[in-house]
Amino acid sequence: MDPSFDTDKIAEINRHLHSHLPPEPALRVKALESLLVEKGLVDPAALDAWIEAYTEEIGPKRGAAVVARAWVDAGFRARLLEDAAQAVAEMGFAGQASGHLKAVENTASVHNLVVCTLCSCYPFAILGMAPPWYKANEYRARAVRDPRGVLAEFGVSLAPDMRIDVWDSTAELRYMVLPRRPPGTGGMDETALAALVTRNAMIGTDDLQGAA
Amino acid sequence: MDGVHDLGGKQGFGPVDRAHENEPYHGEADARAYALCVSMRAERDYPIDWFRHVRENIDPVDYLTRPYFDQWLQTAIAMAIDTGDLSMVEIATGKPESLARTPAPMSPEDVRAMLVTPAHFERAVADDPAFVPGDRVRTASQGHPGHTRLPAYARAASGRIVAHRGAHLMPDDGARGIHRPEHLYTVAFARGDLFPEAAGSPDRIHLDLWESYLAAA
Repeated sequence: MDPSFDTDKIAEINRHLHSHLPPEPALRVKALESLLVEKGLVDPAALDAWIEAYTEEIGPKRGAAVVARAWVDAGFRARLLEDAAQAVAEMGFAGQASGHLKAVENTASVHNLVVCTLCSCYPFAILGMAPPWYKANEYRARAVRDPRGVLAEFGVSLAPDMRIDVWDSTAELRYMVLPRRPPGTGGMDETALAALVTRNAMIGTDDLQGAA
Repeated sequence: MDGVHDLGGKQGFGPVDRAHENEPYHGEADARAYALCVSMRAERDYPIDWFRHVRENIDPVDYLTRPYFDQWLQTAIAMAIDTGDLSMVEIATGKPESLARTPAPMSPEDVRAMLVTPAHFERAVADDPAFVPGDRVRTASQGHPGHTRLPAYARAASGRIVAHRGAHLMPDDGARGIHRPEHLYTVAFARGDLFPEAAGSPDRIHLDLWESYLAAA
């Protein structure tokens, strides 16, 4: 049958699941996997395909390649800032949650920080799996209220007159930060530059200013 | 709904824990939970905001303490029970009462196709946008018992439209099974206007908000 779209019904189902499933996460996942496979609702080969894709192929190296290209190619940088979804598709990186991707650029006076306070939305196709802290209560609660305190914990200290632009991913737009190119990297090629770009810099919890 | 999921601006949380930050999955169970959830999602075409709303209705203590993908998996399971694809008896016994009615589960080829196919949420609408960049707006002062993407910390707040993003499927309706597009805007708020202790801060908080969350200010 179709979904009920009934809040009360779903809350009751969740309460029953709480009492019927093993409390320990690893056991709970194991029990559910065994049931779902036996029932014919999932194919174990599909499970492996998902896990491998985000282990081997899709990860922050993609985002780093995008950033490095933007640093060396002014035309690409302009396209990325205008329509990041199209620009990353051009590099062969279109995928999950990249359909409405926006790139926000750090400058000498503005530092960008990305969060999803309501769930944990993240541009999987460009950055891979989100780090545990991005999905954690602490980051989701504090990034909008105390961004300077959060950044200090990540070793990023900003001048008081530097503006922080926080982007709370409340719709299907997904954000990636285009960090400033680190000083002292004038002679580096695109590949060497990409190796300097951290995943955290593309979320905004690293500024790369001491990277080279 | 005023659930515990609406974490933005909540106080009392400690430092951000950066453990395991460079591993794609937080252990084997985390990886399996993720894969199980996304493998079940193809069983039915449903609005993404129904998934979000089902997760928001996880027991509050579980929501705040259980691993992230463990919650995704519970959400997928709750949805399968809601649609009759699984029963609570099967959950309790761990044994199927019958085989799945759906023709075939998601295959590895389906997975490969999904990994290169972005979803799009923008739709055509007949009406013109009510706001243009630069307009001052005020957000709704109240929530409602269903799903919404206007966080509590940004209610009854004054901001400025910085971009019109086209019309996107409206999440409050999506969680009720209704596919209805509505104009979407990126709105900037002064951090000091949202949080009293940040008065005078140059920082801005940006949210992507649907037209019906907003009124001219």
